[in-house]
Amino acid sequence: MTPLCDNRESNRLEGHRQGGRRFISRRDFWFNAGMGLGGLALVDLLSRDNLLAAPPPTTAGQPACGGQPIQDSPYLAKKPHFKPRAKQVIHLFMSGGVSQVDTFDYKPDLWKYHGVALEGKGEIRVRQGYPGPLMKSPFEFKQYGQSGSWVSSLFPNLATIVDDLAFIHSAVGKSNDHVLSHYEWNTGSILMGFPSVGAWVTYGLGSENGNLPSYVVIYDRRGGPFSGPTNWHAGFLPASYQGTVFRSVGDPILDLSAPPQHMSAAEERRRLDQLNWMNQNHAEQHPGVSDLSARIASYELAYRMQSCAPEAVDLSSESDETKALYGLDNPVTEPFGRQCILARRMIERGVRFVQLYSGSIVNQNIDTWDAHSSIKDNHTMHAAEVDKPITGLITDLKRRGLLDETAVLWQSEFGRMPISQRALGRDHNPGCQTLWMCGAGIQGGQHIGASDEVGYKAADQIVWNHDVHATLLHLLGMDHKRLTYYFNGRHMRLTDVHGELIPQLVKA
Amino acid sequence: MAVHLVWRTGLFTWIRRAAPAIAVGLGGAALLTTVLTAQKAPATGAEVRAILEKKCSQCHSQALQMGGLDLSTREAMLKGGAKGPAIAPGNAGASTLIHRVTGRVAPKMPMAPLPPLTDAEVAALTEWINAGAHWDPAASAAPQAKTAPTPAGYSNELRERAFTETETKWWAFQPPVRRTPPAMREERWAHNPIDQFIKASLDAKGLRPAPKADRSTLIRRATLDLTGLLPTPAEVQAFVSDQSPDAYRNLIERLLGSSHYGERWGRNWLDVVRYADSSGFEHDRDLATAWRFRDYVIRSFNNDKPFNRFLVEHLAGDELPGDDLDAKIATAFYRIGPRVRFREKDNPFYRYEYLDDIIRTTFQGFMGISVHCARCHDHKFDPITRADYYRSMGMFFGFVNYDHPLMPEDKVREWERKTSEVMRAALPLKQEVAKIEAPYRKALFDAGLAKLPDEVQAAIRVPAEMRTPGQKLLAAQFERPATGDGDPNFMGDDPVLAQITTAGQRAPNLIEGPRTGGAMRRGPELVKVNEADHARRAALLARIAEIEKQMPPTPHAVEGVRDGDYRLAPDGPGDEPSPGKTYRPDYPDLGKAYLPEPGSKYEVPWVRFGANGLVVEDDNKAPVVPAGYLRVLTKDRQLMLAKPLRPDYTSGGRRWALAEFIASPDNPLTSRVIVNRVWYWHFGRGIVATPGNLGKMGTAPSHPELLDWLATEFIRQGWSIKQIHRLIMNSETYQQASAHYDSESANKDPDNIHLWRFPVRRLEAEAIRDVILSASGKLNLEAGGPPFFPSIPPSVREGYRQGKWLLTKEEPATWRRGIYSYWKRGMKYPMFEVHDQPDQNVTAEKRNITTVPTQALTLLNNEFVLIQARHLAERVVRDSAGATDEDRIRALYRIALSRDPNPRELERQAAFLAAQRGFQATQSRPDPALAALTDLAHVMLNANEFVYIN
Repeated sequence: MTPLCDNRESNRLEGHRQGGRRFISRRDFWFNAGMGLGGLALVDLLSRDNLLAAPPPTTAGQPACGGQPIQDSPYLAKKPHFKPRAKQVIHLFMSGGVSQVDTFDYKPDLWKYHGVALEGKGEIRVRQGYPGPLMKSPFEFKQYGQSGSWVSSLFPNLATIVDDLAFIHSAVGKSNDHVLSHYEWNTGSILMGFPSVGAWVTYGLGSENGNLPSYVVIYDRRGGPFSGPTNWHAGFLPASYQGTVFRSVGDPILDLSAPPQHMSAAEERRRLDQLNWMNQNHAEQHPGVSDLSARIASYELAYRMQSCAPEAVDLSSESDETKALYGLDNPVTEPFGRQCILARRMIERGVRFVQLYSGSIVNQNIDTWDAHSSIKDNHTMHAAEVDKPITGLITDLKRRGLLDETAVLWQSEFGRMPISQRALGRDHNPGCQTLWMCGAGIQGGQHIGASDEVGYKAADQIVWNHDVHATLLHLLGMDHKRLTYYFNGRHMRLTDVHGELIPQLVKA
Repeated sequence: MAVHLVWRTGLFTWIRRAAPAIAVGLGGAALLTTVLTAQKAPATGAEVRAILEKKCSQCHSQALQMGGLDLSTREAMLKGGAKGPAIAPGNAGASTLIHRVTGRVAPKMPMAPLPPLTDAEVAALTEWINAGAHWDPAASAAPQAKTAPTPAGYSNELRERAFTETETKWWAFQPPVRRTPPAMREERWAHNPIDQFIKASLDAKGLRPAPKADRSTLIRRATLDLTGLLPTPAEVQAFVSDQSPDAYRNLIERLLGSSHYGERWGRNWLDVVRYADSSGFEHDRDLATAWRFRDYVIRSFNNDKPFNRFLVEHLAGDELPGDDLDAKIATAFYRIGPRVRFREKDNPFYRYEYLDDIIRTTFQGFMGISVHCARCHDHKFDPITRADYYRSMGMFFGFVNYDHPLMPEDKVREWERKTSEVMRAALPLKQEVAKIEAPYRKALFDAGLAKLPDEVQAAIRVPAEMRTPGQKLLAAQFERPATGDGDPNFMGDDPVLAQITTAGQRAPNLIEGPRTGGAMRRGPELVKVNEADHARRAALLARIAEIEKQMPPTPHAVEGVRDGDYRLAPDGPGDEPSPGKTYRPDYPDLGKAYLPEPGSKYEVPWVRFGANGLVVEDDNKAPVVPAGYLRVLTKDRQLMLAKPLRPDYTSGGRRWALAEFIASPDNPLTSRVIVNRVWYWHFGRGIVATPGNLGKMGTAPSHPELLDWLATEFIRQGWSIKQIHRLIMNSETYQQASAHYDSESANKDPDNIHLWRFPVRRLEAEAIRDVILSASGKLNLEAGGPPFFPSIPPSVREGYRQGKWLLTKEEPATWRRGIYSYWKRGMKYPMFEVHDQPDQNVTAEKRNITTVPTQALTLLNNEFVLIQARHLAERVVRDSAGATDEDRIRALYRIALSRDPNPRELERQAAFLAAQRGFQATQSRPDPALAALTDLAHVMLNANEFVYIN
C-alpha cells in the first residue's frame, strides 16, 4: 500500500499549494517542480504576484468563470494514477429507499405468490413491526430498448434510454437504518465520521475550476436528506474537500455575499484591497511561512467565487427547449429538474463531483422515498418528480458530448422488501438494491448481478458499496488501494480493506 | 429453482445430498449447522461435543485451559489437566468429567453462573463414555464449519503470538529516561532544561535561534495561548512598561490564574475526548447533561487537577470512594461519543461499536496507541493482538448507562426509595385506568380496521387458527401494533425501574389526562368515553395525581455510567423483539438485574473473543477472554484490581484498575502523550508530530530526550499541567520572535521542526470567533451552564432537521465563548466547520489548518463578523485618546493587534480612512466617519496578523 501522500508530519494544508510542498513529500515536490530548495522564496513571490492578477479573460462563448483554475487555486487539478475514463461525477441519490421490485427488478413471482408467506429465507428482519406476506407490485412492467430491459410504469421517460444505463441488481448493504446506510454508501462506513466519496475524489483529483467549489451538493428543495451534512462531510480529510451546498434560496453558497445593509459590493472591494496590503505587509515580516500567502490567495479566490457562483446558477441563458427537456415547465418536475440542469452547468464548469438528493426528511414520511405506508402513493409521487429530469440530464449530457467524460451513479441507501408492511407499504431491505450507472464509456443496457426469485436478497455477483466505490475511482483514473490519507495511525482508504472492481463496468 | 415457496424443505433435502462446501457457498452457513448437528448419531460424539461446547468450552478449550484442561478433543480429554485424565473410556463411573458434572466431586462443574448440565445431558455423556467415547475425527471439523466468518470478516479463533524483541523494545514502550540537560554556555540558553535541550539540537544542526520577541508580541502570544482572548490595551501597556525582572514570569502566573485559561485548554481536551452535545446518527438526540462534563473539564484545568486523577475520574469516577460529584460527572466520558440510541437491545452490535469507540478514545487519546486497530486482526505494525483488544474490552465491559443524581449517595438512596414507593403505590391505579381504557382502545382498533384493504380485513376476520401463513402475517401487523416505536420517552415494562435509572429526565406519564368532554386521546384520534367510565377514570387519575404529589423533587443528574448488566437494560425505543425470536439470546452468564443490588457481589458480564454482537449465537460459542492489560506493557501480568472494592457499592473494579494502569507513573506512554500534546498546543507541532500515535505508524520524536525529560518532570511535579506551561512559556525557546528570517536555517529546516523561530499559527475555529468578540468588546463572559445556539440562517437548519437546534439572533446572549456553543454532531455551526473544527466522532489527534475561499467568504460576509466590525468601530471611537484619524488608528491597533502602528501603517491607514469617508458620503450611509472606521475595523478582523498567533 503506497500512500498517495504522507501528511503525518503536518496538519497544515496550504490551499494554493496542496499539490506541493507539504502535501506530497517534499522531495517529490521539488522533483515535480523541477527546482531546488532555493526556489522557495521565488515561488512565494511569483504566486503573490499572480494573486493580484485580473481574472482570466472572457473568450467568445466561454464565460470567465468556466475557465481553467488559476495557478493558486486550492482545487488545483492533480494527476490521477492512470489514464481516466471519466473526469467528473454526478451522483443521484434517492433518499429514503427505492424499491427495486417496483422499478427495475421485475419479479413475476410476486404476482404469482401475492399474499403468501415468504419462508425458507431465515429470520426476516424488518425495521418496523412485523413482516407481512409477499406483495405484488402495484406497477406494470414492460421491456424497453434493444436490451429489452424491464422497467415499471414509474419511469416512462427513463425507459426510453435504458440502453445507456448499466443496472446492478445485486447491491447489498450492512444496515437497515436510513442514516447508517446513507453513511455506508456515501462514506464507505456505517459509522459517522468518515470522508464522503466526493471528498475522496476531490482530494485525489482537485477540480477543473478554481473559482467554484470542487464538490457541490444540491439537495431537495423541501430540505436536506437523512443524516444531512454528514453525507458530504470531509471526515478526517482536510475541510477543503467537503461538499459545498448550493442552496435553492438566496445566495447559492452560504455567506457568498454580505447583507446589503452591512456592506455593499463596492465597499467590499475597497476593504479587500486594504486587506491585501495589510496581509502582504505581515507576510513580508514572516518570510517562508506559506500559510500566510495561502490565506492572501484565498481572499482573492473568494472574491472571484462571488461572481462565478451566481453565474453558475443563472439559468437565463438556457433555451426554452433545454428547460423543457429537464421538465422545468411543469411544477411537478421543476424542482428536481432545476437540480439536474444545475448539475450539468456545474459539470460544464469543471466541478469535480456533483451530488443531487431527491427526498427531504423535513417531512420524512411524505417527502422521501421511504414507502412504509404505501408503495403506490409514495413511489408514484417521487418517480414522477425525478423521471423526466434525470432523463433530460442524461440526454443533455450526451448531446453536448459530456456524458463520455462524466460518470453518473443513481442509487438509494437500500432497496425495499418484497413482502408487505401493513398491507400496502414495504419496509427497508439492505439485502438487495438495484442501482444504475452510465456515462464514462460504460456499456449501456447491461444487467449486472441478480437478486433471488422475489428480489429479497442479492443472489448473483453480490456488490458492496466498496465495489461501487472502487469502480468509480477506477473510472476516474484512481486505484482505490493507492488513494490514502494518514489519520490516527493508519493510511485510510475509502474502501477500507475491501473493494473489487465490477468487471462489466471497467471493461473497455 | 423450480419450487419457489417450499424452500425450507427443498433446501434441506438438497443440502443433505450436497457437499457442505457447496452449501456454505450458498450463504447457508447457519442452516448448515442445524442440518449437520441433527444428522450425527450420538455414537460419533457430535451430541457430546455440542454439550461440551455449550457448557464447558468457556473455560476448557484450546484457547483457554482452566486447570490445564482442554475438552475440545478426545486426545485432550484423555491427557486431562491438573487433576488427571477427564475420561476413562468404557467406564463413566471412573471418569472425572462425570464426577464433576454430577457434583460427586466438588466443585461441581460448570461453575456458576453457567447453568449445570441437565439430566439428559449427563445421561448422554455417561452413555458416550460407557460406549467407548468414540470420536469421529471427520466430524471434528464440524464445529469449525459453524463459525463461518460473519459479513464483517471476523473470526473467533483465539490466537496469541509471541512478540519479537524489536517490537517489545520500541522506544515508546520503554520507561522515559531522565537525562541531565546538556550544559549551555550562553547565558540565554543555560537556565531552562527545555532551552538546554532545544539549543543543543539547534547547535547540532547548525541552526541559529531567533532573538527574543518584543514585549507586545509576547503578551499577545501568551494571552492568546493561555486564555484564547486578546490582552486589553491597558494590560499590554502595563506589561510593556513593567521594568521588573519578573514581569514576564508574573504575566504567565496571572494568565494561569485566569478562569479563561480553563475555557481555552479545556477546549483542547474536549477534542481529545470527542465531546459533542448531541448523539449523532439518525436522531441526533440532545445529550442534555453533556455540558456538565464540559464544565467539569474547564474546572479541572482551572484547578490544575492532577492529570492522573483527572484520567481516573474519566474512566472510573463512579467507582471511586467518597461523594465527589465531579468524579461522577467525569464518567460522562463514556456517554458523549456518537451513539445510535435506537433499538440498541435488538441490535447488540451497537454496544460493540460503542465499546470500540471507548477503546479507541481511551488508548489513542490517553496513551497514544491504536488498540482499536486490533479489533478484527492483530495490529499490523505494533505489538497489539486481538486478544489484547478483547482483554481491554473486558476492562470496560461492565458499564451501563446511568444518570447519576448529583447529590450525596445516601441522599440518592433515600430519593430512590421514596420515588419507587410512590410509583409502586400509583401502579395498581394506573393499571386500573388501563383496564377502563382497554375497550375504547379496542373500539378504536375496530374502527381503524374498516379502513384497511380488503385482504387485511379478510385475514383478521378469519379465526386465527384457520389463517394461511400469509394471513397470519397480515393480521399480526395490525393486531399487535408496535409499541414505543420511535418514541424517545418509551421506557418499557417496568416504569419504576426505568424512571429511577433516568433520574433527571423522568419519563412522562404514558397516558395523558382527560381532555375536554371526556374524550381520550390516542395518537391523533379522540374517542368518546361514556360518563361512568369517564368519572371512574377521572377519579383514578385524580388519586394518582394525589399520590404523585408525594414524589420527591427530581434531582439534577448527569448522564454517566456505573457497573451493571447491559443486557437487562430497560427497553429503549423500538426494543421489542422480532416475532418468533426469544427476547434475549440465551446468555449463560446473565445477571439478575440491570443494576446490581447493593451488598451483593457484582460480576462483570463475560467478554467473548471476537464477539461483535452481529450474531449473538455465534458470539456465545467463542471463548471467554479474561479481562487484562496490554501484554506488551505488562509482560503477561495478571489482572490485579487496583484497590479493595467499596463494601457499600457494587462494581467490578475493572475500570478503576485500568484507569490506575493508564494513569500510573510506570506507564511509559501516558505522561509522554500528555506532555507532547501540551507541547503541540503551544507550538502547533508535537515533539512527536502524531500526538495520537506513538507507535510505528506515528512519527519519530524530533527531540526524544526532551520528551522524556518533560514526561518525568511532569510526574515529579504531581502531574501538574500548569507546571508544564510554566516550564514551556518561561523558556527562551517559547519567547523567540516569529518575525525573523534566516536563509541558512530556512534551508536546513524549512518546516521549523527544530524551532529556530517561533512558529506562527492560525487560531482555531472557536478562538477566531472569541477574539473577534474580544476585539469588539461584546464578548459575553457568562461561564458554564447549558450551551447556547449561535445564530445560523434558517436555511441551514432546513438542510438538517433532526435533533435539537434553536434558531437565535445575533445578540449578546449568543455572543458567548465558542466552547459554550452547542456542538451538534449532525450539523456544525458553519463558521466553525469551515475553520476546521474537527470531526467529533473520533478522538481528534490534532486540528487541520486548511486555507480555503469559503473561510474568507465567512469572515467577509457573515453577519456576525459585520456586526462585530461595527461594534469594534464604536469601541475605537470610545477608547481613542483623541478624535483624529491617527488617534483612532492607534486605538484600533492597540485593541486588535496589541501594538502601535508604525509610521508607514499609520499613514496608509489614514489615507484609507480618508478615502473611505469620501466614498461613504456618496453611499448615503448615515454616519460616513463611523462607516469608514467600520470599513477599517472589518479589514482588521480579517487580517492575517489578527487571526494568527505571532
